[in-house]
Amino acid sequence: MTANHTSAIQVENLAKTYPGGVEAVKGIDFAVSPGEVFGLLGPNGAGKSTTVGMLTTTIAPTSGRARVAGSDVASQPIAARQASAVVFQEPVVDRGLTGRRNLDVHARLWGLDTVGARRRIAAVVDPFGLGEVIHRPVDSYSGGQRRRLEIARALISEPQVLFLDEPTVGLDPRFRFELLDLIAGLRARSGMTILLTTHYLDEAEQLCDRVAIVHQGRVVALDSPAALLARLGREIVELRIDGDVSRAVSSLRAEGLAGDDSFAVGATLHVPVHDRPAREAVTTITELGLAVTAITSRPPTLDDVYLQLTGESLAA
Amino acid sequence: MTAVTSTVTLETPTAVRPRSRTGGLAAVATLARRRFAISARTPRELLIPLLAPLLFAMVVVPALADTFGTAVGGVDYMTFVAVATIGLLVPLSCIQSGLGVVVDRLGGGLRDLLAAPISRPMIVAGNLVVAVALASLQVAVLLGAAAIRGAEFDLEATGVMWFVAATLAFAVAMYGAAEVLANRLPTQEEYIGALPPVAIVPFFFAGSFFPISALPAGLTVIGKLLPITHVLALVRYGLAGDNGAGLHDIWGMSNTTAMAALSLGVVALFAVALTATAIRTFQRTAVR
Repeated sequence: MTANHTSAIQVENLAKTYPGGVEAVKGIDFAVSPGEVFGLLGPNGAGKSTTVGMLTTTIAPTSGRARVAGSDVASQPIAARQASAVVFQEPVVDRGLTGRRNLDVHARLWGLDTVGARRRIAAVVDPFGLGEVIHRPVDSYSGGQRRRLEIARALISEPQVLFLDEPTVGLDPRFRFELLDLIAGLRARSGMTILLTTHYLDEAEQLCDRVAIVHQGRVVALDSPAALLARLGREIVELRIDGDVSRAVSSLRAEGLAGDDSFAVGATLHVPVHDRPAREAVTTITELGLAVTAITSRPPTLDDVYLQLTGESLAA
Repeated sequence: MTAVTSTVTLETPTAVRPRSRTGGLAAVATLARRRFAISARTPRELLIPLLAPLLFAMVVVPALADTFGTAVGGVDYMTFVAVATIGLLVPLSCIQSGLGVVVDRLGGGLRDLLAAPISRPMIVAGNLVVAVALASLQVAVLLGAAAIRGAEFDLEATGVMWFVAATLAFAVAMYGAAEVLANRLPTQEEYIGALPPVAIVPFFFAGSFFPISALPAGLTVIGKLLPITHVLALVRYGLAGDNGAGLHDIWGMSNTTAMAALSLGVVALFAVALTATAIRTFQRTAVR
């Protein structure tokens, strides 16, 4: 961990147990540098949204500490909120109000005066493609327009830290691509730190400088997407086994074809290939005479990293 | 991996702009404007709640006066009941305002407010301002319509002050109760279910249609404990010129001003206690 007093976000042993005993977050640590795009990656229920809730002070931590833009979320919550903005996973705009009114309320609550609010609204409306709909009630917006409004609203206050909690979940592919495009554009803004939660691998790979993989309330890996992928070598050979998977693994290990980083999901065995071309590995495996019904090779993905670490799929 | 090419060009700040914290009054004003915009987006949404006071003043109260027609404590029955209708309108209006809190919580709007850099009691205060304003508007319509239909009000400055103070304190108290219920009850259905016992039943034990002295002795005691009984006695003393008959039924003293002050103190105490409870409940339930 690289936590220090200059981090935009600093999380130390942060934990949350909900009433009833559900341990959503079990003591996580990470630090995000100013200007960094940081991803929390994990399946539904991993604790990502609870972590964002604690960092935005909308959920009270059970233990641990967190600082946002230098302000402790427990002892200086208003300062932490002043420096940040959040786009929640669920829709939170006032659907009965116009887009403009939503933006104005947000601007005023973040301390902008009338002139400042007007200036900031003008600055975000057109870049987010909201010019034609901004005077309409939000309940007439499409899903993509509403999501763009929520992101535009979060940027009204020019936050130092922006939290995006599953920003593309539930959107169709076109809107999802549009939003990825928008978020990628935010990287150009100097001084803005972005913490993004997602269970979509491509989002994390495209957008994030570093990714923390979260599993059952704990951070199980934290590094750049490239470094995480590099752990699994150049390629992965995927074998569908008809029979005993563990015996197949033993055979491959005995032949020096599979290492400790091999992992199985159901009847499918994933073998990272580090020191030889995948084609050569496939040929060798085929010659072993194992009960393989299908064999393929492909570049590793973050899903493979997650599966190797947890034995679960991110899409769970 | 394919990088996404940005099509968004936003004004890039040269440095993080220092921002002042939203002042308390400014935050409450913004929250109140938001609440008002949600509650009364169209003229129809503003006018429909006024139908109830108009119906009471123009139809129900005159019908009751025709049926039971005698004067009560020197006040004609029309005026006696018209003023008492405040005891029904204010709770109904405030409970209706509280429904917006439930909608905010279930619809997600509350979560966004919780993420704003404001003190959280301001969120309650913003809702309270609008609830009291809407209730006051209904009371004004009620009294105006009642006057048109023949109710006679005694508009002396001191009396009007007692009336205004009692009505505002009552509205604050009732909104406090509404906010507590809105934050405690998980669904809109349960919240609506709480409306009759909170907003309607007490009206019948508070001397609305007859003096509380006409109730059975046990119910008279209960009536004296209800803030609405003190409110009705105060507004009749202030606006209907009953010379403190209702206050005397409660306190049994000879000094009318002292009795009025005591009753106003009771209503104010309820207002403060329920508002404090509302803020505490909100802070404990809003942030999990």
